[in-house]
Amino acid sequence: MNNMHSTSPPVPPFAGVPRGVPLFAPLGESPDEREPILGPVAAVEAILRQPRRLMYQLRQPGPGGLIARMLAVVVFCSVLYGAVVGSFSMGTQLWAAPVKIAGGLLLSGLICLPSLYIFTCLSGSKARLAEICGLVAGLLLLMTLLLVGFAPVAWLFSQSTESTTWMGALHLLFWFISTCFGLRFLDQGFSHSQPRSNAGLNTWIVIFVLVVVQMTTALRPLVGTSPTFLPKEKKFFMAYWGECLKSNEWQPGQPGAAQP
Amino acid sequence: MITSKLHPRQISILLRGEPDFLRAWIAGWQGARLTLCVGVILAGAGLYGAAMGSWRSPEQALYVALKLPLILLLTALGNGLLNAMLAPLLGLNLTWRQSLLAILTSFTLAAVILAAFSPLAAFLVWNAPSMTSDLRQSGLTYSFIQLTHVACIALAGIAANLRLAQLLRQASPSPVLARRVLVAWLAGNLFLGSQLSWMLRPFIGSPSLPVEFLRASPLKGNFYESVLHALLHLLQLN
Repeated sequence: MNNMHSTSPPVPPFAGVPRGVPLFAPLGESPDEREPILGPVAAVEAILRQPRRLMYQLRQPGPGGLIARMLAVVVFCSVLYGAVVGSFSMGTQLWAAPVKIAGGLLLSGLICLPSLYIFTCLSGSKARLAEICGLVAGLLLLMTLLLVGFAPVAWLFSQSTESTTWMGALHLLFWFISTCFGLRFLDQGFSHSQPRSNAGLNTWIVIFVLVVVQMTTALRPLVGTSPTFLPKEKKFFMAYWGECLKSNEWQPGQPGAAQP
Repeated sequence: MITSKLHPRQISILLRGEPDFLRAWIAGWQGARLTLCVGVILAGAGLYGAAMGSWRSPEQALYVALKLPLILLLTALGNGLLNAMLAPLLGLNLTWRQSLLAILTSFTLAAVILAAFSPLAAFLVWNAPSMTSDLRQSGLTYSFIQLTHVACIALAGIAANLRLAQLLRQASPSPVLARRVLVAWLAGNLFLGSQLSWMLRPFIGSPSLPVEFLRASPLKGNFYESVLHALLHLLQLN
């Protein structure tokens, strides 16, 4: 009922939720959500503006085509961002960085997918394996879309510094912000599958972040150069980051540091 | 879905812990269910075992792929009679077959969880510094890997036992009774299982010792001493 004397402004709708649909209404309530997603561009639009529509379509029979389109965009965006990462060092990094970033992200998703399915089952969720695959594809899609959004900023900084450590940290920051949004999508999708608890998903999120971060070390260098495509020495990421921070090249007054 | 036929989706329903399905699962004995449980234990624990042993060598991976499922099956069978007697003595009227099926089901769920963790374990091994002639460095990596595997196996065990608790609650007139039987079974299985683990060592393979299917002195020492030593070594207190 309208309150003629109300002075509070109208509450804007939650992002991706059509007006008039309660925030936690079952998926498919709105006719917009039931419209199929037919192409990669439609998938991009859906994940940014209508995530509920994407979640609903992933629950329908035969989501394989939609998942394939999403993953195609993931690969495209990863390669694009990888080219920006590689533009810091140029040379072979212009193709090596895109290959490693795209391959590393897909491999990380694949490594973590079985444990996500187990955690969702243990939490009582009724999500099918196909839906879980779709949610992980959605996580990677949103992550890589945002990375492409950060790409101009990353490129600008990469042209104005010679410090690989600094650029590595900047790329990690962009990746972290993008991952937060991607995980928010995953969490929203997960919440619609009626889990009894979020403890399993929260545990999995920690595992996923650790795997992706370790993957950046396993596939190094992404920023910087190396005589070989993959490193010969195996390291955990904490040890590698410690070595990078101890190196002198990013400290003021050292070779490679910017002059005021 | 509650049918007598083998269906992989029965495992995901067990993982979700749906009460109706749990009640029906424990109610009757069926050879198909036993076959499903044993098959999943062999495959799931075998996959994780292979990942576990792969840091040391491919030979070690093969040995552990055989030994890890063996521990689960030997624990279930070794304590089968004891568990079947404890249940009615504590007030829960389960037959021998029902108690064996309940234990095997919990081990099956643990094996499924371990199978899901096996890509993560393999990734960990891929990233861990390889074994070198520097025994101190390799020892640190060995301790880290050992504790990570303990954590994974503990997580799988806890989750599986939570489902076993639900299973027993479905079969029991009271939750207190179900909890009593669970604790009794758990104590026995842990006791036998940890010693079996010790006797069937090595799993990861200590860098200072050769790759073997079994150590020359399988009855020497115990599992809990080894975990404490690894923790102290990692914290460099030992």
